[in-house]
Amino acid sequence: MTMLRESQIMKIHYITGIAALFVVAIHIMMRLIMPYNMSLEYENVIANYHNLPYVVLLESILVLIAIHGFNGLRVILLELRQSKAWEDGVTILTIAAMMAVVAYGTRTIIFANGLGFE
Amino acid sequence: MAKMDRNNREGIKGWLNPGRYGWERVSYWLQRLTGVGLLAYFVGHIYETSSLTQGPDAWAAMLELTQTSMGHLILLLVIGMSMYHSVNGIRLIFTHGGKGLGRPGRPDYPYDAVSLNYRQKSGIWIALILAAASMLYGASVLLGGE
Repeated sequence: MTMLRESQIMKIHYITGIAALFVVAIHIMMRLIMPYNMSLEYENVIANYHNLPYVVLLESILVLIAIHGFNGLRVILLELRQSKAWEDGVTILTIAAMMAVVAYGTRTIIFANGLGFE
Repeated sequence: MAKMDRNNREGIKGWLNPGRYGWERVSYWLQRLTGVGLLAYFVGHIYETSSLTQGPDAWAAMLELTQTSMGHLILLLVIGMSMYHSVNGIRLIFTHGGKGLGRPGRPDYPYDAVSLNYRQKSGIWIALILAAASMLYGASVLLGGE
């Protein structure tokens, strides 16, 4: 499991973290352009998913935070215990979880966009 | 000897002992605790929004579950955790790049590490203060009655 050096993985961790800050800030601002409760009404939320630039933003939030979050979890678990089997197991498990979350979130984005259920 | 070292590992107990390293250790475990908390929220949020695909009724049922006093309190905690994790994370990026660590010097008694200096400590305090301020702003939006 040495496709990338840890120093390269940490650079990816930092870049995804900084990038996520910007996209999440826009995501939160979208909740504040109208009264908070109104922004959560079904029609308004679906309208967001029909807005292509916002869909790109949501997908980028999903990918960036999944990479950053699950790599962070991997780092924490590797700090707790070290052995070849543990490190390989943690790496495989976190990559699998990351892919599952990205796939499930992407499914929601596609369906809510109207491609799946209209 | 190597096996004994492995048995002496402290694991999570080692994280939670702030006694030896002061605020830097508190910041270390807060960064991990907030990271795990935010990851749990992220997964929960993806599950929550997936109810959109089942139509307006499913979305309304999910909102009834999450838009409660307890749901708002959790959201406030998430706001504070996000702000702390972000600001402290930026401090750590600079620190890993060697910025703000001070100049290396001869180790003289009482052997205070120059890297654990006021710049690092003020970074931790700024993260904590901004987290508290963002939670107050979040409370004004969530509980403001709009």
